[in-house]
Amino acid sequence: MNGWVGRCLRVNLTEGKHSIEELVPESREKFLGGRGLGVKVYADEVPPQTDPLSPDNKLIFSSGPLVGTGAVTGASCNVVTKSSLSGTIACAKMRGHFGAEMKYAGFDMIIVEGKAESPVILSIMDDKIRLVSALEYWGRSTSETEDRFKASLGDQWTARETFLATIGPAGERLLPIANIVNDRFLSVGGAGIGAVMGSKNLKAVAVKGQHSLEVSDGNRFVQVVNTMINKLNSSPLTSQSMTQWGTAFLVGLCYPKKILPNNNFLQASVSLKNLGTDALESAFALRSRGCFACPVACIKKTEMKHHIYEGKGMVPTYLAIGSLGLNCGISDLSTIGTASMLCAEAGLDPVAAGGTLATAMELVEKKVTTKDELKIDLQFGNDNSLLEALQLISTKKGHAKRMGQGAKALAESFERPDLFMGVKGMSMAPFDPRAIQGMGLHFATCNYGPHHLYGYTFIDELLGVNENLDPLTTEGKPALVKLYQDTTAVMDSLGLCNWPLMGLKFKNFVPLINSCLGTNYTADDLLSIGERVWNAERLFNVKAGIDGSHDKLPARFTEEPISCGNGEGQVSMVNEMLPEYYSLRGWSGQGVPLAETLKTLELEDS
Amino acid sequence: MPRIKVDHAKCTGCRHCEIACSLNHVANTANPRRARIRIMKDENRYYPVLSGPFVDAACTSKQLIEIGGHKYDMCAFCRASCPEKPYFIEAETGIPLKCDFCGIPPAPSCVRWCNTGALELVED
Repeated sequence: MNGWVGRCLRVNLTEGKHSIEELVPESREKFLGGRGLGVKVYADEVPPQTDPLSPDNKLIFSSGPLVGTGAVTGASCNVVTKSSLSGTIACAKMRGHFGAEMKYAGFDMIIVEGKAESPVILSIMDDKIRLVSALEYWGRSTSETEDRFKASLGDQWTARETFLATIGPAGERLLPIANIVNDRFLSVGGAGIGAVMGSKNLKAVAVKGQHSLEVSDGNRFVQVVNTMINKLNSSPLTSQSMTQWGTAFLVGLCYPKKILPNNNFLQASVSLKNLGTDALESAFALRSRGCFACPVACIKKTEMKHHIYEGKGMVPTYLAIGSLGLNCGISDLSTIGTASMLCAEAGLDPVAAGGTLATAMELVEKKVTTKDELKIDLQFGNDNSLLEALQLISTKKGHAKRMGQGAKALAESFERPDLFMGVKGMSMAPFDPRAIQGMGLHFATCNYGPHHLYGYTFIDELLGVNENLDPLTTEGKPALVKLYQDTTAVMDSLGLCNWPLMGLKFKNFVPLINSCLGTNYTADDLLSIGERVWNAERLFNVKAGIDGSHDKLPARFTEEPISCGNGEGQVSMVNEMLPEYYSLRGWSGQGVPLAETLKTLELEDS
Repeated sequence: MPRIKVDHAKCTGCRHCEIACSLNHVANTANPRRARIRIMKDENRYYPVLSGPFVDAACTSKQLIEIGGHKYDMCAFCRASCPEKPYFIEAETGIPLKCDFCGIPPAPSCVRWCNTGALELVED
């Protein structure tokens, strides 16, 4: 079957039944797999107006055709559903080993429908598909659920080969800022999906299997992989920076350029000296952990020693340092590490949780509310109150309950919607759109909210890998944004991780894809598949009522200039860039795909 | 004689070696269960283990091994294709698998794909 298993598992939790279906070859050609095929199946089956938390909503786990074949960085599985935070389509990325094991278990895709009467775990082990009662796991943290489930399997060998994707207490309580955590502590990139899983009473999905995956031309494939490993090794970014420190190395690069936001994007000054790579190494003993078939291994694990969280844990990534750290005015790595572990254990999305707390802190600073009213001494830079609030949010108690609804709901409940820093209801990833224009445009237009993992423009704007672009200019940025959005969409559809684009060009992946799948794609063919996926997502959003009028950055970025230092006086030029971006995409002035665009992309507008 | 040196401290658990082995031994097939090298995971560490024959001597001389302050049962990373564990045995045929030091010269396939230096070809 060349890469694909060719099978899809459909589980109806209401009836407790499952069926195995074949993946339609035609949709596989048009959408590849992973994110693309997930979006296609989802949009075909679920009406756009569906309430995300109703049993009518579906949750799709979809691995790409290259996952598990040994293709370099072929590990990613996408979770597709309608986000309960933003109401848009969600296509959250899962790293680690779950995606590959899902394919060895015999499925490219798992579609979960309906709602179980009581909590269950979907267990797919060696071709035995069962719904196991999860009453004893309900309420438990993600790692505890994983440990207990594995212990229940009887022997250490089975336990080692089983991989889980689970929700924590936050997802069970249907908090919109909850997400899914897999392979112990790996947060799936994106909020709004944990609550969907919780609303189905599905605590976890466990996979294990021994199906074989076929590669079209094994000899050529092995050679291509060898070449790619060598290429990754010859680039300093993928062979040194990422390998040594993970994405946290970006902190030192983004900070002086004012790209790394602090204090809810207010641009106050916080010292960097405690946050660089040296600080990271002295704060934690780093040990690399690789996702499936990844020569880079950017995930760093460590032993955490904090009075609130002790034991095995993860070193904070750029995302955690930005969202849970600097954006809340906190520069102590040990606190940030603990905060990100609290998020992983409770199943909270670090970006959404960090964004919510930063908004709450600004509400206090602007005297809109007081610490007495919030019952937590939340203020920028207060380490203990950040950790306390994170623990309270997932328990849904008192005022923390309001925070669990996300930054937008919190800001609106105090009648200060202007203090919500995000787009389409989702908090912004830690990149300041004023200091990095292309990323700002991507944040405004991304179908799934402002997340850098869906358009890696910083690879050129900040790191200058393919072209050395000035982050402050707008020239050529709409085309750059479109290129990276399409690239990301097709890489996700194949199941490849996007971070290697720091050391490899997209065209380097083409022989890998062809030798694995037995196809004759050119780079342009693949990018047009990416464009098709991007448009399919946009189409779903438009039908769900989220069109171009939601492609808007908060007023702070277009009205309040950077106060000092690099890029002083600069605001985000997003509104100036939007018309060019829409026309490049073949969309109307309202951000809706035009009929002829859909025709060229072979997307039928039904 | 060249040998494969294993440095577990460098292993990231990415399992690329397993697939390299599988692709090299079974034409066009990727499946860790058909590999002659497996990554055994324990606590916070990963141990690459090359498969070997199943002999009684290994079991009778079994003892606890201490690594980094942890005590392990020797079975946890034993290379034998023994009936006690589902590793190193072809699922369909039940044939035991054994590392044959394969590969495109100058290195076995697992070593070529191991990017961290956990597997290394050394001359004795």
